[in-house]
Amino acid sequence: MVNLFLRQLLSFAGTLALVLTLVFIGVRALPGDAASLRGGIEASSEDVAAIRQALGLEAPLWRQYLGYWSGLLRGDLGESIREGRSVSTILVERLPVTLALASLAFFLSIVVGFGFGLAAGLNPNSSTDRFVLGCTTLGLTAPEFWIGFLFILLFAVTVGWFPLIGYPQEAGAGLLSRLHHLALPALTLAIPRSAQLARMARAQLLEERGADYVRTALSKGLGRRGIARHLSANALPPLLPLLALELGGLLTGTIIVEQVFGLPGLGLAILGSISARDYPVVQGVTILAVVIYVSVNWLADLSQLLADPRLRYG
Amino acid sequence: MVRVVTGTALLILLIFGALFYPWLSPFDPLKPDYRARYAAPSGEHLLGTDGLGRDVLTRSLAGGRVSLSIALSASALAVVLGSGLGLAAAAFGGTPELLLTRAFDALLAFPGFLLVLLAVVILGGGSAETVLALGVAGSPLYFRLARSYTRSLLITPYVLAATALGASLPRLLSHHVLPNFLGPILVQAASTATVFLLVEASLSYLGLGVPLPTPSWGNVLQDARAYLTRQPWAALGPGALLALAALALQLLSDGLRDFLDRRTR
Repeated sequence: MVNLFLRQLLSFAGTLALVLTLVFIGVRALPGDAASLRGGIEASSEDVAAIRQALGLEAPLWRQYLGYWSGLLRGDLGESIREGRSVSTILVERLPVTLALASLAFFLSIVVGFGFGLAAGLNPNSSTDRFVLGCTTLGLTAPEFWIGFLFILLFAVTVGWFPLIGYPQEAGAGLLSRLHHLALPALTLAIPRSAQLARMARAQLLEERGADYVRTALSKGLGRRGIARHLSANALPPLLPLLALELGGLLTGTIIVEQVFGLPGLGLAILGSISARDYPVVQGVTILAVVIYVSVNWLADLSQLLADPRLRYG
Repeated sequence: MVRVVTGTALLILLIFGALFYPWLSPFDPLKPDYRARYAAPSGEHLLGTDGLGRDVLTRSLAGGRVSLSIALSASALAVVLGSGLGLAAAAFGGTPELLLTRAFDALLAFPGFLLVLLAVVILGGGSAETVLALGVAGSPLYFRLARSYTRSLLITPYVLAATALGASLPRLLSHHVLPNFLGPILVQAASTATVFLLVEASLSYLGLGVPLPTPSWGNVLQDARAYLTRQPWAALGPGALLALAALALQLLSDGLRDFLDRRTR
């Protein structure tokens, strides 16, 4: 068991190192020169050269790469060109908005997705099943930002139940006010994701239906509720890694929705920095997103190993 | 089967509109008409006009040309790249297989949308760049599928029999292995095209994909976002077409999957 854990940890560290190296290469491949951007349009070529020197851009690539790692290990992600503040400060400021939005959307999609998936998967070929399938098809194919438009038009403009855009930034803003601003964006995010979950839960339940223990239970006269309990207990745990993938993906999956609803989270930060060519911030957000994504997936794999002894062998 | 037919019919209709809009509509999707700005839907402009007085319906049809061709060619690239390398990796084995598997796993370690977004920014935006970014980002799935199918198919009795009869490796792969997993790959390709259609629209909506003034469904919607509350019709029309196209591809994928499942069972 300890051995297995160590092997898992090693492969996690390897993946993380590889991915962070790719981020380093990717960010250096972005168009534009950081030094001339920081200097502004008035800067002379000597100024730019001085800035290049100060930013360490003159150093050979391998030295920059070492510097990148030593910064990462110390939690130093550099300084924003546009704002002159440290990137970590910006991330700490932006993360709560995205985290709140992502967790709300995650919660909604689990409730709706599993609810629909169970309703369909436990009654295959019923009218409920067909209704759920139809809903999931629509949910999967409707463009996120367009659903956002529709919600804004319907619930914010026409009925006026929700604010148009934005998010209360001040510390004193109450939980209710925050939820009020997050409701429509979270719902927008939850629609395609719950459709995906509902489909997977349904497929898993249908698969499990053919198992021998179900036939045995049926022949011993177990009622529908009992069968449903057995089925869901066996069919749903394998979905755990997929849930982790969803959760990890949500952290950057919010980019579009943050843009549509004007929420000042990580998504808006990375979009703004891309158009301003503020690459330290782009790099910082990417690193944060990738580290969380890889870790969540690793934890999901690990928890599955712990939950299902059969997976530890073979 | 109903779904396959409905999906195909819808898709053909949309492609028809995208190809032949110059004959279907009296308007130019690019030429501004300042006397007709922000016109509400009417007999002349069925979906109204945008902030530069251009006909929204014409722009939506023209946008389909760009969006559909990007989504379809990007999924073709993902399928060919991924399954080609997957097939080769499984057939040759050894170090090349290990290296390829590692490389595709590294791609999977990135959150998908972020990967495509950064790739498009690095490549500089544009139609061909978007196709490349989407195709590469989508390929790991096909690599995995093709590799695992090839591995299990190569040890089936009929492949062994063909080997014993002296069939060469290329012949084995092209005649006995590939045809046996083409079905599931095609099903997956239709659903990948759905996702790519939506991702391309998102990128162009953010102003990172297809650059203006060439209309794509995404950047037409970006235009519309600015005056969403003033003239919602400009956002609803192109969005509905985009959703319809995604629906068509998804129906096609679902229908094909059920059809193949029934046949194999």
